[in-house]
Amino acid sequence: MDANIKFNTKNLDLFYGDFQALKSINMEIREKEVTAFIGPSGCGKSTFLRCLNRMNDLIDSVKINGEIIFDGQDINGTIDVINLRTRVGMVFQKPNPFPMSIYENIAYGPKCQGMKDKNQLDTLVKESLVKAALWDEVKDRLNKSALGLSGGQQQRLCIARTIAMNPEVILMDEPTSALDPIATAKIEDLMSSLKKDYTIIIVTHSMQQAGRISDRTAFFLMGEVIEFNETPIIFTNPLDKRTEDYITGRFG
Amino acid sequence: MGRKAKDVLVKGIIYLATGITLSVLLFIVGFIFVKGIGLVNWDFLTRDYNEKVVYAFVESNDVPLNIDEETLNGKNPYDKRYETAIEGPIYVENIGAAIAKVAYKNHSTEREQFVITYIEKDSPLKSAIDSTGKSITIGCDYILQSINGNDFAGLTLEEVATTIADESGELKIKIVQPGGGIKSNIITTLYMVLLSLIVALPLGIFGAIYLTEYAKPGRLVNAIRFAAECLAGIPSIIFGLFGMAFFVVALNFQISLISGSLTVAIILLPVIIRSTEEALKTVPMAFREGSLALGATKLQTIFKVVLPCAVPGIATAVLLSIGRVVGESAALLLTAGTVAQIPGTLFSPGSTLTVQAYYVAKEEGNIELACAIGIVIIVIVIVLNILSRITSDKLDVFNKK
Repeated sequence: MDANIKFNTKNLDLFYGDFQALKSINMEIREKEVTAFIGPSGCGKSTFLRCLNRMNDLIDSVKINGEIIFDGQDINGTIDVINLRTRVGMVFQKPNPFPMSIYENIAYGPKCQGMKDKNQLDTLVKESLVKAALWDEVKDRLNKSALGLSGGQQQRLCIARTIAMNPEVILMDEPTSALDPIATAKIEDLMSSLKKDYTIIIVTHSMQQAGRISDRTAFFLMGEVIEFNETPIIFTNPLDKRTEDYITGRFG
Repeated sequence: MGRKAKDVLVKGIIYLATGITLSVLLFIVGFIFVKGIGLVNWDFLTRDYNEKVVYAFVESNDVPLNIDEETLNGKNPYDKRYETAIEGPIYVENIGAAIAKVAYKNHSTEREQFVITYIEKDSPLKSAIDSTGKSITIGCDYILQSINGNDFAGLTLEEVATTIADESGELKIKIVQPGGGIKSNIITTLYMVLLSLIVALPLGIFGAIYLTEYAKPGRLVNAIRFAAECLAGIPSIIFGLFGMAFFVVALNFQISLISGSLTVAIILLPVIIRSTEEALKTVPMAFREGSLALGATKLQTIFKVVLPCAVPGIATAVLLSIGRVVGESAALLLTAGTVAQIPGTLFSPGSTLTVQAYYVAKEEGNIELACAIGIVIIVIVIVLNILSRITSDKLDVFNKK
């Protein structure tokens, strides 16, 4: 097995009740790269993303067949889901900081894992905020509620919160779709700098965004992966006619 | 009829309905206040309901009168509603106090009695003790019945004053502490609120957590919810009967504070479950997802993120519950009793304010007293309302920015 492969899915099917949302997905996602999922609404890209840290567990009607291998382990097998989620963090579409102070938001995850030492937490909070390029903006109001931040700041806080867990993979589900262009640009810069340390998988509706930040892009359509390749190839020289149609805006 | 005329008509009906509702409300509250306000004073709030006879031991000591006759005559602290002055007052030096003879008449009793109207600053009555050596307070409208075994019944004021003045050394005075207060009812009510909430809040909150966070939607959950809703609609007398049969008789708790509060706790459960459930439902799914995605367990998610967000809703539940306990009478009548006393233990009976209001209105025909109790109930409910609103605002995590 290639050591650089972080996630490897084999014949992954997913059903919402009777509706098949993912059809036999086979995909290898490489370590320390940005992988983007694009495709029209309802094509299954978010669903697939949520499979990777088992967020679909929250939905009762979901049934999954096939394998998702994460670092050599099937995540639907005997793996501890709590442990999985500390290694595979997630940032959501809408910023969802907890209604607590900025500090508590970052310290929440580590505290849940049992970290109690105040100095350790302080350092971790600072490091995470620095990495998420938010430290300078919030260092004077760490004890103020996170709900007082702007949307872009809130989303960076959510990224910082995820970083604080020191995950191996960060999943991002349309992280900029609720933000203005300036906040979006900041998050994109952040993603490029995080790439050194983390494997990033991002779902996006903006093809420009996928083009700007990702190393590889997968095009989803009606529950299938139509094409998965290096981003420049997908955007300049797609192999599949349907990919080309979508990229050029002929449908979707 | 034109459209405009119809508009005016409907608008008129709406205004009228609002006006009627408002005026009925104002009328009721106004009626209660007008009827009862005359009885509400500090003594009313701080005294026991029943008269209490005590023997006071006093070291006699001549204390001269320090105020002039006119001022002394002006002092008449007795309750003009029930008491009419007959003679006096006369100042008696060896106990340093003035007494007067009054006629007492209420709904059930009629008698003549000797009432203290004034106590001098250095009066030996100030350092009175009871038979166990504990100091007791003697107030200005307490009734004297005998001194060193000499009963005052049938005597004139002059004779009583002489009898007292003739005694010296240690005096043993039989005193009646006047009743008519509702201190015990206020305290019983607070006990009842506290105890029933201690039982019902955790049960209700955990029940609501089960229903919203754990239970898979389906028949069982629907059945539980349906049961809770039915429970909320059942008249409280039914719960009272159950409490009487189960807590009072089967568990042999007797008619007591504990029987009453457990019965009320059952009445509160559906209220608490439903409002907590509503509060939990309004917590955005995104918080739960965010927490779980950070590797928190379900329990950590519920207790650290979801519940704190639901605090304002739970505070509303507490508020509704307090209102329910304070307003409950039928169930408590059967399980906690009508004895106007401060319950010494969990297993002693005690009557809450509403039960007492029922009791004095129904058994004694004393509407004014019932209205006075009504005023106290209204004030308590308003104060608790304001308090819980303030706390819920303070605890609302979404308010802090």
